[in-house]
Amino acid sequence: MNSLEFFLLVLRASLLSTSGTGNLPALRSDLVAARGWTTDHQIAEALAIGQVSPGPSGLWVVSLGYLTDGMRGALLAVVAICLPPLLVIPLGRIYARTKHHPAVEGFVRGLGTAVVGVFAVVMLNLLGKVGVNVRTVLIALIALGLGASRRVPILVILALAAAFGILVR
Amino acid sequence: MSADTPSTPSVLLPPTLWRLFGAWLLIGCQSFGGGAATLALINRSLVEKLGWVSEEEFARDWAICQVTPGINLLAFTVRLGGRIGGICGSAAAGVVLSLLGLLLPSVAITIGITSAYTRIAASPAVQSALRAVIPATVGLGLLTAWTMARPLLKTSRQEGKASTVFTLAILAGAGIAFFVFQPPVLVVLILGGVLGMVFSVIRAQRREPEGEQTP
Repeated sequence: MNSLEFFLLVLRASLLSTSGTGNLPALRSDLVAARGWTTDHQIAEALAIGQVSPGPSGLWVVSLGYLTDGMRGALLAVVAICLPPLLVIPLGRIYARTKHHPAVEGFVRGLGTAVVGVFAVVMLNLLGKVGVNVRTVLIALIALGLGASRRVPILVILALAAAFGILVR
Repeated sequence: MSADTPSTPSVLLPPTLWRLFGAWLLIGCQSFGGGAATLALINRSLVEKLGWVSEEEFARDWAICQVTPGINLLAFTVRLGGRIGGICGSAAAGVVLSLLGLLLPSVAITIGITSAYTRIAASPAVQSALRAVIPATVGLGLLTAWTMARPLLKTSRQEGKASTVFTLAILAGAGIAFFVFQPPVLVVLILGGVLGMVFSVIRAQRREPEGEQTP
């Protein structure tokens, strides 16, 4: 694997997303499908770790970077996700001068909407990798339900899942 | 440019670059709840406690960060840090120190967890646990997708029927197209962006009669 290329791929994926996990579909496609530098399993692991650790949701890429290329990968990932937000400096000035920018707003919204659609499909594909059966679907639905209730911390949900996985074969 | 003139901080503690770093470091150490909680932390610290940012600036900056590339929270940090840094003498240093303060704790912990994880990953217990944790992660991921879709749908519903149909079409269309044709992700995203742009421009022109275009 090529560290520079990894950095550029994370950068590119992050440029066209405005959320922490918006870069997931592109990264999966680039790193797993196209190059085989990472496995779906590692992506799932990184996502889980990202859900558990503090800070912005985008840090799952840092975890992925570490799994793919050690400390170097992790640090390159951090820099890569910090660069696109710097564009807010020039864009902020442009927005301050233009009153009406339906084109830009429309583009961002359209892109953001498309991301959600693709993201959902990628998630379902990930489930396919572990195997779609009554057990996994049930776990997914229960986790979704517990998360939606907003009463159960994510950490607890994943801990419960882990315990379930170990205790119930 | 009134939009970029910072408000004079009416302040107990004047900002300095090191204090700025310290404030963000404190925020970073407490940011366990994700985006919304971190936003609240930033407000409590920089707006309420330190008075380095006004509520108006806070709201306006956050709105701008929704329509710029990259993680919204990081863009927000860049914007606030740059402005406060500018007051202290260096906007660039403000940006760097703010990002560093926010990310140092959480990045360190993330790497720590990942590193610890790799050491135990091979054990059968962990493997068994993962077989349940991964579906749970997928469930939470779908919840995240729903959380992302909701504000988009809400806005489009407020805009009217055409907008709602359009948004649903892009949502379903992007997912289905991606699933069926497996095109490069960026193609789907940019296509969605372009369609959104065209729709938005057409809508705007329909609302503004011909003679009243903004000069």
